[in-house]
Amino acid sequence: MRKIGEGAEAVIYSGKIYGKEVIVKYRAPKRYRVAELDTTIRKGRTRKEAMVISRATNSGVNVPMLIGLGAYEIYMEYIRGTALKDMEASKAIMAMTGVQLGRLHNAGIAHGDFTPANIIMKGKNVYVIDFGLAEITESSEERALDLLLMKRQISASLNRAFLSGYTKTSGSSRDVLRRLSEIEERGRYQIRTLA
Amino acid sequence: MLVLGIESSAHTFGVGIVEGGKVLSNEKSMYDIGTTGMIPKKVAEHHVQNSNSIVRAALENAGVGLEDVEGIGYTKGPGIGNCLQVGQIVAKTLAQKLNVPIVPVNHGVGHIEIGRLKSGLKDPIVLYVSGGNSQILKISSKPERHYRILGETFDIGIGNMLDNFARAIKLNPAWGSSVEKHALGGRYLSMPYTVKGMDFSFTGLLTHSIKQIGKHSVKDICFSLQETAFSMLCEATERAMLLTSSSELCVCGGVAQNARLKEMLKYVAEEHRAKIGYAANEFNADNGAMIAFVAERMLDGGCRTRLSDCTIEQRYRVDQAQIY
Repeated sequence: MRKIGEGAEAVIYSGKIYGKEVIVKYRAPKRYRVAELDTTIRKGRTRKEAMVISRATNSGVNVPMLIGLGAYEIYMEYIRGTALKDMEASKAIMAMTGVQLGRLHNAGIAHGDFTPANIIMKGKNVYVIDFGLAEITESSEERALDLLLMKRQISASLNRAFLSGYTKTSGSSRDVLRRLSEIEERGRYQIRTLA
Repeated sequence: MLVLGIESSAHTFGVGIVEGGKVLSNEKSMYDIGTTGMIPKKVAEHHVQNSNSIVRAALENAGVGLEDVEGIGYTKGPGIGNCLQVGQIVAKTLAQKLNVPIVPVNHGVGHIEIGRLKSGLKDPIVLYVSGGNSQILKISSKPERHYRILGETFDIGIGNMLDNFARAIKLNPAWGSSVEKHALGGRYLSMPYTVKGMDFSFTGLLTHSIKQIGKHSVKDICFSLQETAFSMLCEATERAMLLTSSSELCVCGGVAQNARLKEMLKYVAEEHRAKIGYAANEFNADNGAMIAFVAERMLDGGCRTRLSDCTIEQRYRVDQAQIY
């Protein structure tokens, strides 16, 4: 097993199991947290993430396949490709990304960190990765936050393509888009004049 | 340039004198919040009654006279309107009387800049935690130099949350530092934990904690509330540091006086071999010196404001202010 990355929550290793390339996402303990809170967070998030990944797979979303599960680690398929944040995304790719998010939401999943860093282009398909902050929820607020996070990081024209893919697929896009404009109108976020 | 700064955004009326980045004096008078918290009209009255003596004390302690003052800075916002107005009027009066330039300063920028520069950090991730604000920021140079908000609270500031809880269990004085004292030696109770990327929310945690009153000891609730809230801040901060590949962390604002929060953030920094810096508690609490400190940088940087543009703004966000 080789360490290939480190996020705020977990360390990512890659290696081979039965000749198949796998990723292991291990949630390491954090010294700053009291032990009870630390274990609760790590166990709970690992379990939930595994649950979300299998649910997404069953609903036809392109996600890494779940291979195994420990208390603090998840074994999954290695998607070897290029993250959207490291490439020049086209409108077609953004529309495909929108379709994937629409399917996720239809499956009752809000991603929680839907940014170009978590979308991988492999061959002709886009894959959604990192369900560390995902929630199983029907809330249009959570769904709208997925749209907002992506919107903040891509150009307006790419966002239009993204939304076209999303509205085509999502069964609740009208509610979600209305919620999105509500969020953007909230006082605290109105006046980022320089940002 | 010898600059006098006035802070009056909340419970503190403070006057500081700074010259060449060096703090010559830092005087303040704080409204006693007791068990009821801040009543805007009464806080403003407190500021009016104390403004004269605090200005005099600051001059005296700095060993300078009013005629030596070469510039004035005051808090434009964010804060309570009634309170901000007192500082604004004192500042404008002095500027007119002495015929020296005056600049409006963002309260948050005051906390951040004095924390960052006094601890010698260049381009850190900043965790700004106070009563009304809880934000994670980084300097951005576009379109002009300012602090960009990477993440922040969805609802109330962490200090406000702790103060609210202190009032609910009738601690005196009813604010965060009383919660800190009661948290010592508590046991951990399960609490709601809400982090969304680099944003977080405190109201659910507050409501849950208030509901625990009577069911568990004050000590255990205070401990769990504090541990949970600070862990949320640490997680969001750690994420911001990793996403921006920062090797520096700066903590500032009123809640940065809390020793446990600083200890936890030290662990976060150590894990990523980052340097952590924070101002002395004197500058984390609201104070006039930080306003003078930033005002001097603004004046040196060529910032000039007409008297008629010296307004107050209750919702003056950190990212609206240009930094020098």
